[in-house]
Amino acid sequence: MNDTDIVRALGATEPQVNTEDALTRFRARVESEGIAGVAPAARRRVTSRWLQGLAAAAGVVIVASALTLSGVADSVLKIFEPKSVVAVPITQSDLNYLGQACSGLNLQDCMGAYGTFVWTTPPQPKEVQSRSQASAEAGFAVQAPTAVPSSVTGDPRYGVINRSSATFTFSADSTRQAASRQNRTAPPLPANIDGSKLFITGGPAVVQIWGAPTGHSGQGGPDIPTLIVGQAKAPTISSDGVTVDQLRGYLLSQPGVSPQLAAAIRAIGDPSSTLPVPVPAELAISHPVTVQGVQGLFVGDNTGIASAVIWQKDGMMFEVIGSFTESQALSIANSMR
Amino acid sequence: MTLPARAGAGPDGAGHLSGTISPAFEELFRTEYVRVVAIAHRVLGDQAEAEDVAQDVFVSFYRSHPANAPYGPAWLHAAAAHAALNALRGRDRRSRREAAQALPVDAAAVDDPSEVVAASETRDEVRAVLGRLPERSAALLAMRYSGLSYAEIAAALDVRASSVGTLLRRAEDAFRRELR
Repeated sequence: MNDTDIVRALGATEPQVNTEDALTRFRARVESEGIAGVAPAARRRVTSRWLQGLAAAAGVVIVASALTLSGVADSVLKIFEPKSVVAVPITQSDLNYLGQACSGLNLQDCMGAYGTFVWTTPPQPKEVQSRSQASAEAGFAVQAPTAVPSSVTGDPRYGVINRSSATFTFSADSTRQAASRQNRTAPPLPANIDGSKLFITGGPAVVQIWGAPTGHSGQGGPDIPTLIVGQAKAPTISSDGVTVDQLRGYLLSQPGVSPQLAAAIRAIGDPSSTLPVPVPAELAISHPVTVQGVQGLFVGDNTGIASAVIWQKDGMMFEVIGSFTESQALSIANSMR
Repeated sequence: MTLPARAGAGPDGAGHLSGTISPAFEELFRTEYVRVVAIAHRVLGDQAEAEDVAQDVFVSFYRSHPANAPYGPAWLHAAAAHAALNALRGRDRRSRREAAQALPVDAAAVDDPSEVVAASETRDEVRAVLGRLPERSAALLAMRYSGLSYAEIAAALDVRASSVGTLLRRAEDAFRRELR
């Protein structure tokens, strides 16, 4: 049986339909059965909000990647270098707790609740004019999608974040004070963690943005990005004593961590090589996907309006964010060269 | 088969409308109705039944999705195959005799009564085979042989476009094996 036989078997004759009659029947049914429809989504508002949310989630990757270790002694133990990414659900109660603890989720303030965070080389984002210039600035070959949906038009803008570095010193006093500000009692910081240091490494990072505001008046173009592509050297975290398991145990003992988040963190098989990506539990879906031959993570909002694909390959973190279906986002990701 | 994992309008979607169909929905209906019917027709082999399935599919979409959702066409294509296969299995649960009566043969295409009978039996067997195939394989065949592109099938089934050719060949092989 060849293709023609299959066509014949499945019915070679095309149905002759009258679409307008069908639409009339549909209208009559909707009216007679009182069926309520969903109003067209306010795409621009939703997309803008969700792109911001997803960009913030993905920003964790970029920010982490932009922190760079420098001048650290060889004796320091590397305790974290991501080989894969995994979603961890962040519930509203987690956000409330973190928001109180971290003064608006600012990274420096947030870590300040547990010790002293010091930039040794702070990140300094800047815009460049071309991909080749971005590659030269970043020191790696910047990849770009070779196929994009028709909704993505024009040339991208390029941003480069330099290598930068930070040191974090755990402090039992800071932890106690942060907890008391929220009328909570923090579990005691284990003695071997108090005073120990983390050296956070990564970067540089390059971000390509399609459809971004140009900053020129009278352009009339879109005011939100249609596609964001991020690429960064995978971050690493080193320590002068504390281990990832000890850190995980301490994090899970915090009073504001929801059971859902705790379960997700416990489920991470190898925390020393898995980058957790926070995903709003009530508002987004996420699941593992295969991208560029490796396992990555798909994150999408519940309405299907915006999505992101994040993966790690050959020591680099990548992400694709935009108003796409899952298959479109994966096609873009797989077309990266 | 799993429909694209999209919930309702969600917290950011607009509210429900009653009574009026939006221009965006009418445009979607006009653009996709023929293809939704075609997919269901490939599964069911009966135009009236395929149009009933198409109406149900559009009602389902209308109830819970914004008309301008970018995944709209893909959702409709997947739902058409899914709903038609469900209808087919429901039909299979009825007696074979009833099923045969429910399947009109395109008599105009064949003059010889013996050919009419043979065609009817073949079509019954084809529907039975589709009903036995894995859901995704049957849906893939229905979509491909109703004219959807590889990219459209990939979007509807949430698979990579580069995988569609391989999946289609496997589905065709399974279809041929079952039909022998």
